[in-house]
Amino acid sequence: MEDENIQLANRTLNQERIKLNVGGKLFETTVSTIRSGGPESLLYALSNRPRDDRNPIFIDRDPEIFSVLLSLLRTNRLPSSARRFSKQELFDEAIFYGIEANLKSAISPPSFDGIDASIVANIRPTSDGVVSAFTAGDGDGSIWLAHGGQISCYDRNLIHDRTIRTHLEEITSIRRVWPEIAALGSDATSGLHYYNFSSGRHIGSSNWSDPNDPRIYKARVTAIADSPTSIFAAFECAHRENSVLVIDQSTLQITSELGRQLGSSAKSTVAGKLAWIPETSVLFGSSVTCGAFGYSGYVRLWDSRSGDVVWETNEPGSGRSSRFGDSFADVDVDVESMKLFKICSKSGDLGVADIRKLGDDPWVYLKDKNPGMGNTGRRGSGNIKIHCFRKQVLVGREGELEVWSRVEERENGVEESKDIGEDFYRRNYVDKAEDSERGIIKEIEGGGDRLFVSRENVEGIEVWETSKSSGAVSIL
Amino acid sequence: MPPPFSGSTCSSSDLIHPPLNPESNIVAINVGGHFFQTTKQTLALAGSKSLLSTLFDSSQSDVPFIDRDPDLFSLILSLLRTGYLPSKAKAFDLQDLISESQFYGIESLLINSLSNPSQFEAFNLEKSLILPLNGRDPPAAITTTPFGSVHVAHGGKITSFDWSLQRKTTILTQFSAIDSLLALSPSVAAAGATDFSGLQVLDLDIGHVRTILNWENVTRSSSTVQAIGASSQFLFTSFESGRRNSNSIMIYDLQTFSPVNEIGHNEIFGADIDSAIPATMLNWVAGYNLLMASGSHSGPSGVQGNIKFWDIRTGNIAWELKEKVDCFSDMTISENLSAIFKIGVSSGEVYSADLRKLGDGNPWILLGDRMKVVNGKRAGAGGKIESYGNQVFCSREGGTIELWSEVAVENGGSKEGGLRLEERVFRKNVMGRVKDLGGGRVTKLAFGGNKMFVTRKDQQSVEVWQSTNKRSS
Repeated sequence: MEDENIQLANRTLNQERIKLNVGGKLFETTVSTIRSGGPESLLYALSNRPRDDRNPIFIDRDPEIFSVLLSLLRTNRLPSSARRFSKQELFDEAIFYGIEANLKSAISPPSFDGIDASIVANIRPTSDGVVSAFTAGDGDGSIWLAHGGQISCYDRNLIHDRTIRTHLEEITSIRRVWPEIAALGSDATSGLHYYNFSSGRHIGSSNWSDPNDPRIYKARVTAIADSPTSIFAAFECAHRENSVLVIDQSTLQITSELGRQLGSSAKSTVAGKLAWIPETSVLFGSSVTCGAFGYSGYVRLWDSRSGDVVWETNEPGSGRSSRFGDSFADVDVDVESMKLFKICSKSGDLGVADIRKLGDDPWVYLKDKNPGMGNTGRRGSGNIKIHCFRKQVLVGREGELEVWSRVEERENGVEESKDIGEDFYRRNYVDKAEDSERGIIKEIEGGGDRLFVSRENVEGIEVWETSKSSGAVSIL
Repeated sequence: MPPPFSGSTCSSSDLIHPPLNPESNIVAINVGGHFFQTTKQTLALAGSKSLLSTLFDSSQSDVPFIDRDPDLFSLILSLLRTGYLPSKAKAFDLQDLISESQFYGIESLLINSLSNPSQFEAFNLEKSLILPLNGRDPPAAITTTPFGSVHVAHGGKITSFDWSLQRKTTILTQFSAIDSLLALSPSVAAAGATDFSGLQVLDLDIGHVRTILNWENVTRSSSTVQAIGASSQFLFTSFESGRRNSNSIMIYDLQTFSPVNEIGHNEIFGADIDSAIPATMLNWVAGYNLLMASGSHSGPSGVQGNIKFWDIRTGNIAWELKEKVDCFSDMTISENLSAIFKIGVSSGEVYSADLRKLGDGNPWILLGDRMKVVNGKRAGAGGKIESYGNQVFCSREGGTIELWSEVAVENGGSKEGGLRLEERVFRKNVMGRVKDLGGGRVTKLAFGGNKMFVTRKDQQSVEVWQSTNKRSS
């Protein structure tokens, strides 16, 4: 590390230099530093000017912010003097010089690690603050919140960008299907609706109808997913008949229908969760209902091209299930590692299945081994939510947030070749005891390197991040 | 290439830049457009590996240019000139200075100026920082390096704070709950648990297991770790078999981790309690070339324990102390004071025993005045005692920490002051201002650099006590 620095330093010693006059203050640096924003940047373009030492290149901008950005280019980290400026100011200035990518990489949080995460922000919309649904956007850490029929966008700095009002009274599912377009569904109003965020306008709707069956009418949307070309939405009619519609993303026209079912039993209720698995072009759908006799539900995988069911499981199932009476309370798919994870409703154990090796009973059960995880008796009851993010499994049990993470193997161990074994996962709390008292966890979703958590009837949404900073608090 | 500077647009600092004789010791450097003058000797203090000492190796006529921030360089130059940071460094984050000192290759000078063990002032410590730990597991083990980086085991996780306590990393281990942890370097630690087989040497930066050390016990059951210690050459581990019927201390080479020797192997038959007690504390006593191993056991007949000093080459016990009455609830050794110290579990009193006067009789000498003994109560249970520098630190019920120090007494002094001159004189003070007192029961005390680290029951954080820096306040 030190040697690298010295090499780096030696390189800078004999380099072509450049002088800049920014708002009256002189700066001297090397051409390679100024060009690190890439050939598209303004600074790169300036560095190509003929140089004259008597008349340094003049830039009519604030010298203080420039000195911060120059430090960023030199060291790839933001100096502490950056704190005098808001993130917005820094971004605006970085965009002017064309070095916003450098700034983004310097201030983005490190990779999310559930065993070492803390709340960094609580986003609270100013009106109708209880968040009914949210979508963590396109992975840059920005988030779109649906609250009281409005959608609010918070950018990657978690700064409020704008809010639009929709015609829906309550939005219960939201998905960002284009960078500027959200697909919305509601429990109370039929149809899937598209809103363009930059114009704030309603740009279309999709409704489920069938010319041969007049009963297919006024179907409401319960879940939305998207692939690079299609949008998938689970629709349910008033008489509980349901289906998943495939909608072309560019024309917003319905192209096909998957898995139409009557909805008369737990095995055929509408999917409450949909997810697209890109590696195999398979759509994942699941439904869980909780009744007097406990949880029941299904997991189904459809081939999105043929519309065939590739694999499905129902619980409580018949036959060989080794876990009779311990059906899942929630299930999610980890598209990164191609695994399905389920939380057992009674035992609280985590079940994992490899999507590439699904069979009659593909589940491997991971047991809780952490003695610090407290009382096991209350598990299995109440609200359980599961979300897979960055090869970790986040589980919300009532108000508690926990994470199952894979333990690193030996230095030279071949990790991927091994089968899933319970020894390789450890369960830990993400939160503190006092965090869990804020309310029942309603939804968990990761985006960028952030984890977003919403709670029942609690205003706003929590943002969790991992940090390299020690967070030391002075108590002098 | 144009000349280093010319023309009229130079700032005022450029104007006092006379042409220098190449033979002169005075040199000029251009850092980010500002000119600095210093001497070759000053730059040589940065060490031969540093960029600064190589600047003038080649006989260049140009003033060398370094593309870094000039304000930070002026601090770096002050550090080189004087050995400490000027007070204007407070305008910057320590993190800026650390990354800058790494660039110039002089981080060790910065560490030396800010976190040197010689700056530890026991009488001037105040509670100054709280290091929060994420998750819900309270810290179970804590270990430090000489320059103040600290590793904390909580549950199956280890969080490491760097020497500046500004940065942290957390790794997940295979253990469900770590009980023993020992830092071997700022980025390598040995960890063990009483419910998990094997000692693991872990790379704390990336979370990899470097090696797993197991004790091959006769019953072929698992080998759990009771204590870890180290000397400059060896790693010591106290193992107990999973069936709890045998225990042993293994000695490994600290570089290769290959076994060197096994000492104190006990197979337990019948009701011999003494051999059934595994060592739960291992300390290397460098001055005597002995390994101190101690352990205790709480049974229906009270707490019993032993303290053994092992010659690790021969595997013989050099001296042994059986603790039958008022056994230690915790004990420590101070080589600076040539003494061992304990908290008596029933009395709660602090005792010392002079290493130079160890004999057959009871070596323990009560420090301070005898307290009123409350019958049957284990007043000292849960107390922690540690030594660092010339002082002994001892935790008390209610979460207070006592500081015991030896009073230097002239040998020929009078008896009028009430001093018993045949004995060494130790006196205690309660640490902290009124607002710092109390808190939960102390679970661990550790020392590193110029700081004291305290963990408390049910608190997911580490308390840092340090003395105010003379130059920065």
